Amino acid sequence: MIGHYDWAGGREAMLRFGPAGGPVVVLALPLFEEANRTRAFAVAMLRALAGHGIAALLPDLPGTVESETALEDVTPTDWTEALFAASGDGRCHAAGIRGGCLIAGNIPARSHWFLSPASGEAIVRDLVRARQAADRETGGAFDPVDIDRDGPPIELAGNRVPRALLRALRATEPDAAPPCRVVRLDSDPAPADRHVSGAPLWRRAEPDTDRALAALLAADLADWVRRCEN
Amino acid sequence: MVPEQKPEIDTTVRAVLRDVLGLSAERAAAFDATTPLFGALPELDSMAVAGVLTELEDRLGILIEDDEVDGEMLETFGALTTFASNKALM
Repeated sequence: MIGHYDWAGGREAMLRFGPAGGPVVVLALPLFEEANRTRAFAVAMLRALAGHGIAALLPDLPGTVESETALEDVTPTDWTEALFAASGDGRCHAAGIRGGCLIAGNIPARSHWFLSPASGEAIVRDLVRARQAADRETGGAFDPVDIDRDGPPIELAGNRVPRALLRALRATEPDAAPPCRVVRLDSDPAPADRHVSGAPLWRRAEPDTDRALAALLAADLADWVRRCEN
Repeated sequence: MVPEQKPEIDTTVRAVLRDVLGLSAERAAAFDATTPLFGALPELDSMAVAGVLTELEDRLGILIEDDEVDGEMLETFGALTTFASNKALM
């Protein structure tokens, strides 16, 4: 069901799934282009979670997905403030995918659940690399040192990203106070509480979903939320 | 586990291309050393190049410097595998 939430900076759209009562999960999508690539998958996962009797919220953060806020107007604290407001001021279990874990990990919550958490530095590096690869074709020469200089937003992978946001992201690690569970894909050798089989959909240029993976992760998340509630 | 043998690295590079570019298992399995990549695969755009490099780093436990990335290492499947092997087996 499509709803909305209000935060200090305005009003944004939010999808709601599952029952009206009981525990609630708020999910932060990956950042930038990865959000568009994983939204259908995230929706499939939260529908499956609702099938386990657990409600979920999927907010558009300011400047992301279908938000009317321009990304170039987003300040480093906006995403955290917006997610916290969407979560009912910390009453949810906060989940994140990839760069979304940087935001979910920053809000107080009953528990945290991360899928393939990525450091802010890795996210920014990806953006810079895409820009450099594009520059090799067009003859441009982007220097990442520009991020540390003051100036207008930087065009990275199709987004105009404020420099202050890039600098803040680069310094953020996907950490959260316990209880926090980390799930990763089999192909990712980084430590995790569980590794599951599946492809990194956030890398695909064409949005794709994986129903089996969505169902498996929903079951993991449902089990985690129930354990944290008891 | 991070791969430590040449055949495993070949498998990892193949899996990265399949995962990032959304290729079928059959298509990725048919790649040989001379299969052209950058400029030949429409799926391999600038965003995908970033994805391939980062996934290779994560899965092989290597670090790829900006000045090592050029058209040559991405020219063929063989060139990319050789680059990854030299990095991972150092």
